Order: sequence, then C-alpha cells, then structure tokens
Amino acid sequence: MGTYASLTIPWTVKRAIDGLQADAASAPVGYFVALIALSAVVNGLARLGSRFAITGGCQRIESEIRTDLFAALQSFPPRFYATHSTGDLMARSTSDITAVRSLLGFGTISLVSTTFAFVGVLAAMLAVDPWLTLWSLAPSPILIVLARRFNLRVNERTEAAQNQLSVLTERVQEYVAGMAVVRAYTLEPRARADFGRANGEYLRLSLALARTEAGFSPLMGLIAGIGTLIVLWAGGRAVVDGRLTLGALVAFNGYLAYLTWPTLALGWTLSTVRRGLTSMARILEIVEESNTSGRAGIPEPARALLRPPSVQSGLTDPATTNPATTNPATTTTPGIRFSHLTFAYADRQPALRDVSFEVAPGETVAVVGATGSGKSTLGLLLARLWEPPPGTVFLGGRDVRELSLDTLRAGIGYVPQEGFLFSRSIADNITLGREGVGRDELHTAAVAAGVADEVEQFAAGFDAVVGERGLTLSGGQRQRVTLARALAGEAPVLVLDDAFASVDAAKEEEILANLRRALSGRTVLLMTHRLRAACTAGRIVVLEAGRVIESGRHEELLGRAGVYARLWRIQQLEEEIARA
Amino acid sequence: MPDSLYDPEAEEQLGRAFDRRLAARLMEAARPHRGLITGSLLLFPLVAVVELAQPWLLKVAIDEHILRSDWVGLTWVAGLYIAVLAVLYALRTVEAYLMQLTGQRVIHDLRETIFDHLLRLEARFFDHNPVGRLMTRVLHDVEAVSEAFTSGLFAVVADLVTLTGVVIVMLWIDWRLALVTFSLMPILLVVATYFRLNARDAYREVRRRLARLNGFLQESLQGMTVVQLFVRERDERERFRGLNTEYRRALFRSTRWEASLYAVVEALGSVALALLIWYGSGRIIAESLTFGALVAFIQYTNRFFLPIRDLGAKYTVMQWAMASSERIFGLLDRAPAIVSPAAPRPRPARTGAPAVELDSVWFAYDGDDWVLRDCSFSVAPGERVAIVGATGEGKTTCARLLNRSYDVRQGRVLVDGVDVREWDLAGLRRHVGIIFQDSVLFAGTIEENLRLGADGAVSPADLARAIETSRAGFVTELPRGLGELLGERGANVSHGQRQLLAIARALVYNPAVLVLDEAMSSVDPESEALIRQAMTGLLAGRTSITIAHRLSTVHAADRILVLHRGRVHEDGTHAELLRHGGLYARLYELQTGAASA
Ligand SMILES: Nc1ncnc2c1ncn2[C@@H]1O[C@H](COP(=O)(O)OP(=O)(O)OP(=O)(O)O)[C@@H](O)[C@H]1O
Ligand SMILES: Nc1ncnc2c1ncn2[C@@H]1O[C@H](COP(=O)(O)OP(=O)(O)OP(=O)(O)O)[C@@H](O)[C@H]1O
Ligand SMILES: [Mg+2]
Ligand SMILES: [Mg+2]
Repeated sequence: MGTYASLTIPWTVKRAIDGLQADAASAPVGYFVALIALSAVVNGLARLGSRFAITGGCQRIESEIRTDLFAALQSFPPRFYATHSTGDLMARSTSDITAVRSLLGFGTISLVSTTFAFVGVLAAMLAVDPWLTLWSLAPSPILIVLARRFNLRVNERTEAAQNQLSVLTERVQEYVAGMAVVRAYTLEPRARADFGRANGEYLRLSLALARTEAGFSPLMGLIAGIGTLIVLWAGGRAVVDGRLTLGALVAFNGYLAYLTWPTLALGWTLSTVRRGLTSMARILEIVEESNTSGRAGIPEPARALLRPPSVQSGLTDPATTNPATTNPATTTTPGIRFSHLTFAYADRQPALRDVSFEVAPGETVAVVGATGSGKSTLGLLLARLWEPPPGTVFLGGRDVRELSLDTLRAGIGYVPQEGFLFSRSIADNITLGREGVGRDELHTAAVAAGVADEVEQFAAGFDAVVGERGLTLSGGQRQRVTLARALAGEAPVLVLDDAFASVDAAKEEEILANLRRALSGRTVLLMTHRLRAACTAGRIVVLEAGRVIESGRHEELLGRAGVYARLWRIQQLEEEIARA
Repeated sequence: MPDSLYDPEAEEQLGRAFDRRLAARLMEAARPHRGLITGSLLLFPLVAVVELAQPWLLKVAIDEHILRSDWVGLTWVAGLYIAVLAVLYALRTVEAYLMQLTGQRVIHDLRETIFDHLLRLEARFFDHNPVGRLMTRVLHDVEAVSEAFTSGLFAVVADLVTLTGVVIVMLWIDWRLALVTFSLMPILLVVATYFRLNARDAYREVRRRLARLNGFLQESLQGMTVVQLFVRERDERERFRGLNTEYRRALFRSTRWEASLYAVVEALGSVALALLIWYGSGRIIAESLTFGALVAFIQYTNRFFLPIRDLGAKYTVMQWAMASSERIFGLLDRAPAIVSPAAPRPRPARTGAPAVELDSVWFAYDGDDWVLRDCSFSVAPGERVAIVGATGEGKTTCARLLNRSYDVRQGRVLVDGVDVREWDLAGLRRHVGIIFQDSVLFAGTIEENLRLGADGAVSPADLARAIETSRAGFVTELPRGLGELLGERGANVSHGQRQLLAIARALVYNPAVLVLDEAMSSVDPESEALIRQAMTGLLAGRTSITIAHRLSTVHAADRILVLHRGRVHEDGTHAELLRHGGLYARLYELQTGAASA
C-alpha cells in the first residue's frame, strides 16, 4: 500500500507538468501539491506500519529459530558432540542466525517491496504509455540470465566462506579454552600459526566472494541506467514526434527512478538472501539431525508403557508426578542388569564384550579394571548417553531403551568422570534448579560429599560463583561439588565414576563413611581405581579389555588368585615396602 | 574480585556513535591499509561526479533537444549517457571490491592482533572472562569494526561528497529553487537528533543482551551432558528462552527508532517535492524557470534525501562499530600483567643453587583469601620431591607459581637460583614443564598432540619411547594408530588414557624440571607403578615434583612435603615422616589401614 501511495506521486507530477505546459495560468497547482503531500503522509505511515510488522515478525521468527536450535542441541547424545565441535555449533547459532535474520528482515522487506514496486510501476507505466514501457523493459531478460549465472557461483563461495568461519571459530574456542596448556607448553607460536592459517584462509575465501559480488551489484545499476537511457532516447523521440506529452516522459522517468533503487538494492538483496539461505541450510542440518539421531530419534516407548500397573520400580515420570511423591526413598529401589552387552564406539574395537552382571536393588557393586577397560562406558550406556543394543541393559527389570529418557535419567544420580561446573554459584551447580532440591537438601548433600566446610569458608559461601568449568575451585573441590549434585537428587540409583580420584585419603574416608549412611538402600555402581574403596563393596566386577574376567566378593576374589588378587598384592607389597 | 580489571558490566556500557578518541585509534588500526583506503576515498568524488551527470544530461536532453525537436542532438546526448553508464559501472565495481578488500583486511589483521594479545594475557584474566565472551571479541566485534570502515567511513564520505555535489549543482541551476528544498533541513536536523538520543540506549541494550545470550549458549554446549544426565533440559531451555526474549525485545526497540527515522525522512522528501512543484510552477508561469530544470531538480531532490534516509541504517552500524571497537580496544589495552622482563637474567651456569625454591611465598587469588602463607621449600637439582596435602590446600597453586601462571604477592619463587620474574617467560616454561590435573588435549591427531610443544624435530623413536614409558600402548591398537583423530578435549578416549597421553606429551616436551599435578589420578595403580618405574630411567638426574593424593604414588620420592594451612608443615622421607607421627603418618594409616577395618 505504501508503494502505491508513493506511486501516485510521479503521476501527480505528470499531471502538474502537463497542466502547466498546456495552460500555465489555469493549472490547479494547489490541488496537485496537496495531493502529493497527502500521498507522502499515507506512504510514510504505511511504510512505518509494514516495517514494524515485518521486522517485529522477523525478530520473532529469529528468536524461535534460535530456541528451536537450542532445543535440538539439547536433544543430541555425546555421539553428536563427538563430530561437531563447540566452535562450529557456536558459529551456527550466532553468525548463521544473524544471516538468517537479515534474510528474513532486510531480505523479505526488500524482496517484497521490490516486487510490489515492479508490479506497481509496471502497471503505472503501462497506463502512461504501453509502447514506451515495452522499450524500457528490454534489458530485463539480460538481467535475469545474468542473475542466474551469478547465483550459482556465489552460492558456492558463500558456503565455502561460511564453513571456514566455523573452522576459525573452532580454533579460537579451542585455544582460548585450553589456555592453561598453551601457557605451560609454550604453544603460543603454534597457536598463532594455526590461527593465522585459518584466518588467512577465511580472508582468501571472503575476497573470492567479494570479487564475484563486486561485479554483480553495480551491474544492476547499469541495467537500470540503460532503462532510463532507452526512455530518454525513444521517449524523447516520441515527444519530438508529438506522440507523447512531456509530462508523460517525466513521469516515466520518475517511475524508472523508483525502480532504480530497488534494482540497485537487488544485488545486495540477492547476496543477503543467498547468505541467509546458506545459513538456514546449516541450521536446518542441525535441527533435522535431531529428528533422525537426537533424542526424538531415539525410539521413545508409548506413554502407557511408562507406567505399568505394577510400579515395582522407583522410577516415576517427573513430568506427570508431583515431585513430593517421587522421593525414591519411599519406593522400591530398582536394580541394574547388564546382559550379554557388547558395545563398540564408531569404528573402534568393541569397548565392552559380552558383559553380563547384575546389581541387585540396594546393592553396591564396584567395577575395577585397567585404564580403558570400559568402566565408564558401562555407566554411559546405563544412562543412555550412548545407545546400547536392545535387550542388554536393564534398569528395574526393564530395558533402558523402553524407558523414556526423562524417567530413566531422573532415576539415576550420576557423577561423571570429568566433572563439569557451570559458571554459576555453587548452590546453583548443586541444585541445578531442580524442584525438590531446596536449601536443606543442598546442604545435606554438600555435607555428605564432604565439601560443605570448605565452601562455607568462601566469603560468599554457597553463593560463590565459580569460574568457567569450575576454574576457580581446586580439583578436589570441583569433584566433590559434582558428587553433591548427584546426591542432592535423592535418585534411587547412583553411578559414581571415579568420584574420589582427586581427593585425599582422609577426605575419601570421610566421604565413604558419609556415603555408607546416605547410600543405604540405594543401588550403587562404583567405578574406581582404588581397591581400598572397592573392597568394601558388596561385589566387585573386574573388567579387562571390555570383558568381565572375575566377579565376586573381596575375599572370594582374593581366594581365586586371579587378576584382582594380583592387583591387591601389588598394592599390599607397596605398602609393605613403604612400611619397611 | 575487587580489582577484576576487565569488568564485564563496564565493558557493556557504551554506545556513542562517534568518539574522537576511538576514531583516532581506529584510524591507527587502519594505518597499514591506508593505501587501499585512500584509493577508495579517491573513487568517491569520481563516482559522485559521474552519478550527478545523469540528471544533468536529462535536463539538457529535455530543454535543448526534446523541447526543440532536435532528434540528432538527442541521439548524441543518449550516446553520452551510455558512456556515463559504462564508466559508472567500472567505477562501482572497483569501488565495491576495494571496500570489501579493505574491510576484510582490517578484520583479518584485527583478529590476529586480538588473538595474539589473548595469548599473552595471564591466567588471572581467563579466570574472570568466559571463553564465550572472548570469542565474541575475536569473531563478531571485529566484523562490526570493519563495518565502521565500509558502512561508516566510506559511506559517510560518499554521502558527504554526493550531498555536496547535489547542493552545488542545485544552487548553480537555480539557487531560489534550491533554497526551497533546503528549507526542510532544520526539521531534518531536529528529527535526526531526537532519533540519535533515543537510539543510543536501545543499541547499548542490544549489545548487552546478545553477549549474555551467547555466553550462556557456549557454556550450555559444553555442559550438555550434565544437563541431560540430570534432566534439566526444560529448565535450561526456559532460561535460554528468557535471555532470547530479552534480546529480541531490545532488538525491536532499536529497530523502532531506525524505521521511524526512515519513514519521516521519506515523507519529508515528498513534501520537498510538493514544495518544488508549488514554487516551481509559479516560476514557470513567470517564465523564469525551464521545464528541464524543474525535472532535473526533482531528480536531484531525490538524491539529496536518499543518503539522509539511510542515515538510520548507517547510524546503527556506526553504533555497533563504536561499541565493538571500544570493547576491542578495552581488551587490547588490558596490558598483560605477566610478561618477560625487558632484560631477562641469563641463567647462571651451575651455581649449585636449588633447582626450584619457594622463599616465604604469600599468595592469594582474590583479596586476602590467602592460599599460601609464608610458604618455603626448595628442591635440589636431580631430586624427586612429592607434595601431599588435603584438597584445596594449594598444591596446584604451587605448581602454577612455578611456571609463572600467577605472580606471588610476597616472597620469591626461584628456579635455578633466579627469580622467575627475571626469567625469560618462554624460557622458564620450556624449563619447567607441568602436567596439569585436567589434561586438556586438542582436537587433531594423537601425534600432533604429542608433538605439541616440542620445538625442533621429534623422531618417531622419541615418540615411541614416550608412548612406551607412559604406557599409552592403546594408541597402537586404535584403527589409525598415532593418526587417530582426537575429539575436542580428547573426548573420544577414556579419562585415564587422556592422562597417559598428557604424560607422553610432557615426556616429548622434555623439560628440565617436571611437575606432575595428579597426573595419574585416573590411571590404574598397576599401570601407574609401571610408569613410575619406566620414568625413573628416563628422568634419571632430572628434577621432578609429584603432587598426588595416592600415597602409593608418593612414598618412593626422595623427599615428601606436606602442605598444611598454606605452608610446608612436614618435610622428610617417607620413613622419617612416619616416625615423626604427624599429619602424613595419619594420612598413611587411613589409606592403608582402611583395609583391615
Ligand atoms: N583460579 C582461582 N581463582 C580463585 N581461587 C582459586 C583458583 N584456583 C584455586 N582457587 C582456590 O585456592 C585454593 C587452593 O586451590 P588448589 O587448586 O591449589 O588446591 P589443591 O591443593 O591443588 O587441591 P586439590 O587436591 O583439590 O587439587 C582452593 O580453596 C581453591 O578454591
Ligand atoms: N567417545 C568415545 N569414542 C570412541 N572411543 C571411546 C570413546 N570413549 C571411550 N572410548 C574407548 O573405549 C574404551 C573404553 O573406555 P572407557 O572410558 O569406558 O574406559 P574406562 O575403563 O572408564 O577407563 P578409565 O579408567 O581411563 O576411565 C577405551 O579404549 C576408549 O579409548
Ligand atoms: Mg572411565
Ligand atoms: Mg590440585
């Protein structure tokens, strides 16, 4: 509408000029002037409205795309993150989203207004003089052909540049995040060279893109100019021959001028659109992957399956149940069972081979074994961070693949081997905003994890904000905060993966004593290298290269004189030597 | 963090579109490209002249040929017009490329400068500045700055040139008619000023929100497993949505000003047109104005308002650019607190000084939360010393002081008898190698990771020996062996394997003093014993400091230091400390006695 209001202006100018030329004295100039002013106001208002509507809408869409992307990212298992670096994903959720917004905002506005402008101007021009209109449109086919050919070239180059930006982002992310190692190993020259290479390559690709675009954008101006030229020449002749009024020629020029800006902008618009589309594709790549491999892709059982009539497990669906009643202490604790579990990470040797053992409800089973023997993998499969084969991993008697992820994970308190802390307060890191984990639970868990005393000595106590990844805590403090986090949820099943590796003997003893109290009645899977921690467990499973080679109580295993007995002896021997 | 130096909030409160001091620094940054910039700037007047020739030709065509029915002359003018178009096309192409070239070069160089600077900043800085924010500096702020050149400097110069040209031509054709157009200028000025004041706050807000959003995103990506394990997806999504919505609102507020300015200027342009016709018609009637002149005037008026109309968009760009460059310069101005001395002291040849010595060291990360209080110890050359102590006692901190990740508050840290502050920084770090608690590996092949810090050639035999010593034999069983690609932070090998690789990496690095900070905490005891044996041979005569909780790791050391309350509490061999019956003896009892209990 704005466009049409503005189109009346050259028309009015035409009539004014024609009027003036015909009979200067009697022309109703005032009327024309008022008409122009009116059109201007209507035009301005309409434009303002449409801008607000379109921009507001675009920003809303952008915001939704961002949220969707975030949701998709949340649904991916570690397998996805193994092939997509943080840097790459950051690039997609920042630069690419910005490009999409430009596509939606500037791109749409200018495409729409260009289209309207073309249609409107065309109609108006036809009304003034059909013959001249045809003349002025002569360069259009050339324009279309050129645009086509150009599009292909630029598409490739845009994509190449965009991908290189991801690489660059990756480099920055990795080196900045690993700065402690960079410093310790004087890697600065290497980092600089590495970054320099990625940076240089990006420059090269951007300039290649710029070269192509530099030739195209002004081309639009050229073609618009040729239109004006034709009108001037052919139209001028018509005026000379008396077939056309001077006013009509001027109006025609006015219309063409209206087209000049959109046509000029068309080059720019097209490149924005192209960039936007490339980026959109890169974003969709992620969002769509979540449909095939993400959480949505993991076959979720029908809702009804989640709550079988006999609720013999303590696993309740947190989404549908009142948190107060999910307290697992009041329900029966589920057991864990691995049955002929063989699992391999992509293109590796199997990390687990035919593993079968059971952790009875309320029992504590320790898993020991050399580095890389597959201990952590057991835990990851149990929590379905990696997908186990069907019929191999059971929780509370049910295949974990048949449990919804929420239900499954809400039932497990997990201490991952590499503790991750958010740069939030310690309290936030322990509660993670879970319902039912208030200040009291937080405190109890922190005490059980043996970290409460230290935290309370910080000036801000539990509200102390830790640096990124828990940078400002000591290694042991970090590990115990993650332990407290797992304890705080009161989950019926606990997986403690090497959870005491970074604490001293006194602390470990204290925590173990606390845990014995806190863990009674809970099912515990404990992976550890410290036989002293393992030997008190109800049962010990020894893994070697992914196979269970021994299992039983501490005394049984010692009697069997196998691997466990040997490890135990080594430890004893060291102690003996030390004592001597 | 009272003196947290680089305050994230302060850094966000900016937003002038033009700041002389900043502009001067930007110019400084652009200096290496001044050839290019001058080239582009010279093109503008040319382009403007050629552009302004078009309406002029139109006027000539109407007044002197069409109205006089001069067909031949008209063809001449048309020919001239073609020439003008061709020149314009060529000029524009060159101009567009030059602009991109300058912009991209500036981006490239600035990125390099910032990254370089980050590499020189000390550990303390990174404690308080999340990776996400620093990435924004290197990647996004830099682009905004380059816009300061392409959309800012160039566009403003181009517009100024065009405007001046238009004004001159208009005055020349008919000064009275020109004044009619210019009469709207005061209104324009008022509008622009009003807009500017309001837009400033809006843009500032947008920046702040975006930084928060990206910071949150970056951290979420890295902590995704935790979120998933504890089923916090919905909660995190809500947080994200909240930040996202705030950002959108801020963005919309800023758009509102821009769009309003655009609309107002456009409307004013039409009003100018109406005035022209009203006044011009009177003059035509009085025959003091030609038709051609009026038509040309109408076109010039269009060109007069076009740059002003886009002022809003340009203003946005300038605001982003200024805000970004202020933040970039803020970062670049943050001088590294820990640098090599101007004249590093040359290492004395064998003075018989201890290899490593802490001399009454006081240290705190923040304020007066002292971690080390008057801590002193020394390690003789070739000695193997172990440091034990409860968690959070400051063992890692000692290690960080040794390679000058942080500087002591009081006292001295001496390496080879020379204060670390007098060492050449790179030399010191080549000399003292540390394997940190969390062993960060980089994405890339295992081999690249092992060769990481080694200068000069590392023979395959050296690699093989390092792998052998650190018992990282699993590498050979991987499908691609040493060529296996590691994920980010080494995510695709087990935790213990990561530590083994970190040890192998340190062995390849081959420092004179090796510090192992719980380097084997996730390695099974059997492998650990074997590694220790193998290392004894390899590191014979080498100084080493081992930090560990497992006393089995520690007891064979030449000397054991027990850290307690920020100072060395006990010092002696394993046997001596046991006899002494202090802290160490108690720890030992706990660790070995638990079995019988
Ligand atoms: N970057 C930092 N900023 C602020 N405080 C820190 C930082 N790093 C450590 N701290 C604090 O300093 C104290 C000593 O930490 P340090 O890492 O030296 O302990 P540690 O003896 O190595 O402990 P652990 O055995 O748990 O690794 C702790 O209280 C810790 O919270
Ligand atoms: N994400 C992964 N992708 C590919 N292979 C992996 C991945 N994670 C682990 N592996 C491999 O699987 C095997 C078992 O790893 P796992 O982490 O389960 O060992 P672990 O017993 O926990 O060892 P540690 O004692 O070192 O923690 C190892 O050989 C390891 O290299
Ligand atoms: Mg593990
Ligand atoms: Mg430590």
